[in-house]
Amino acid sequence: MKFGIFYEISVPRPWERETEYQVYQNCLEQVRLADELGFDQVWAVEHHFLEEYSHCSAPEIFLTACAMQTKNIRIGRGIVVCVPQFNNPIKAAEVAATMDLVSGGRLEFGTGRSATWTELGGFSADPDETKKTWDEWVRIIPKMWTQERFAYEGRAFSMPKRAILPKPYQKPHPPMWVAVTSPGTELDAADRGMGSLGLTFGGFQEQEAKIAEYRRRIKYCNPVGSFVNEQVNTVNFLFCHEDNEYGAKTGQRLAGTFNYLAEQLLAARQAYPTRSYPNLGLLPALRREATSAPEGSIPEGLAIGNPDRIVEVIRKWEAVGVDRINFLLNAIETVPQEEVLASLRLFAKEVMPKFAGKPEAVAVGGAD
Amino acid sequence: MPLVGSRDISQLASESPVIPGLDTEPLELPGAQLLQLLYEIDDSGMTSLLPPALHPTIPPTVFITVMKAPESPWGPFALAEVRVGCRSGARPRALLYRAVCNSAEAAKGLGERWGYPLVMGEVSLERGYDRVHATAATPGDGLVLDATLRNPDPIGNGDLQYISSLHLARVRRDGEDVVRLIQVDPDYAVSKADRGRPELAACRLGAFGLEGAEISYAVSASAATVNITLPALRYLVDPNKPPLQSVERI
Repeated sequence: MKFGIFYEISVPRPWERETEYQVYQNCLEQVRLADELGFDQVWAVEHHFLEEYSHCSAPEIFLTACAMQTKNIRIGRGIVVCVPQFNNPIKAAEVAATMDLVSGGRLEFGTGRSATWTELGGFSADPDETKKTWDEWVRIIPKMWTQERFAYEGRAFSMPKRAILPKPYQKPHPPMWVAVTSPGTELDAADRGMGSLGLTFGGFQEQEAKIAEYRRRIKYCNPVGSFVNEQVNTVNFLFCHEDNEYGAKTGQRLAGTFNYLAEQLLAARQAYPTRSYPNLGLLPALRREATSAPEGSIPEGLAIGNPDRIVEVIRKWEAVGVDRINFLLNAIETVPQEEVLASLRLFAKEVMPKFAGKPEAVAVGGAD
Repeated sequence: MPLVGSRDISQLASESPVIPGLDTEPLELPGAQLLQLLYEIDDSGMTSLLPPALHPTIPPTVFITVMKAPESPWGPFALAEVRVGCRSGARPRALLYRAVCNSAEAAKGLGERWGYPLVMGEVSLERGYDRVHATAATPGDGLVLDATLRNPDPIGNGDLQYISSLHLARVRRDGEDVVRLIQVDPDYAVSKADRGRPELAACRLGAFGLEGAEISYAVSASAATVNITLPALRYLVDPNKPPLQSVERI
């Protein structure tokens, strides 16, 4: 089991001059500490226009800053929006390779397509097209990295032969992932030999079924990259405290705030009728189910509470088949920075050693 | 935390329907025709259109919906509404201040049972192969809505999602009328669905209680044939309380 941290970079109102600056500085301080404590990875989203919920529109810059201030922690683009109005596949490949070089081969490359009308509409992107352009991009980007010169004639993108430079430091290329929010995307990941970058907060049962199917399907995959990245990465909330009740209460406040902000967004499906975004409000329902619990009890799958409880929760995730857990540490600064840092320290001291030294669950392939 | 509304709705509420009792039985409206257009509105209306109990969507939106019901206890009727997209706590909703109905009997029944704030007028909805076109007009304001879905293309019945409504109404309690937003979350069984390009030739938002709002960006248009079941009432919202304290279970 590997542990990481995960950033939406949510910023509370009022947005005064120092507010965003301070939130970014807090995040960077957390990343430096996580690196020292032995966390394996830091991921940052790409979101645009999502007021308060996520002010992380240039994750490549944030993650490069993370890489420059750390030694070992891997940096995860979670994700590159593979939609031409947002990004360009050549530029995405070049930026990723540069990040991999300057970080000394620490890049994890997540891909996805955006799920809100707030963003898709803002970029005048066609919601019907996003799954198609994502599919095209994930097939060509690894070739841009591995072929000396690359040419392509496709449906939504074409280019004459050029050398796309630089090339990544990791050989043959960084591990590739798919953001999994819509039901069924974990199967898209499996069929393409990509890691499943779970971004929902589903409970044990729901995740177990998805992971089992992912493992079954990936055995027969046609990998888009040069190797199969069979790994399941999930996301969770973390607040670790000696006092279980205080830890759980604070953690639930964090989870509740995050979910509340998330549900203010205008989902693509709510605004634009399309088969391309099939979930009918399922994601909010899953989030609610996974993060709410009867009065006085703690939601079963959340890593909140004292170290003993968190160990128990992670053991269950391990049994379900999860290889990595990324923790969301804060939402609009609900938890004071000192408490976030103390939570990370306590987790590293009391929880991480219980999962150290075990053989990796099922990972195959990976960068040389 | 998210923005909240700032509108004083007491004046609008004084013209809203009174619901004498909340034990409404469900009602099916079979074979209804439904046209819905979604537009973004200017952000100047982001908080000024909503009461303090509700959060605006990001970006702010209005749902323009015209429904023609061929069968009902009151006979055939049609209604046209413009609702503001919002969130009640974390739940997606659309708030209705005022709508136009072409049947006095239906307006009375819908108002008394589900709090539909209806004024009388002419409402039309015509479905063609090249367009779905709807209009609404009132004696006071004249033409208040002229909306079209151009070039309809079939989509899956499950591809449509309708957002539940909050209706501005008054509820009779202990002999007094208290202002509440009535949650109406119909069941929609879609049997035919199309998507197309939205066009608005006229939309007087003031006639729908949305003075000051400005349409800014077209998002989508859909048309459907639907069996609609208007539900038993389950929740009310006190419009003047903060979002997390405003919901009342019936």
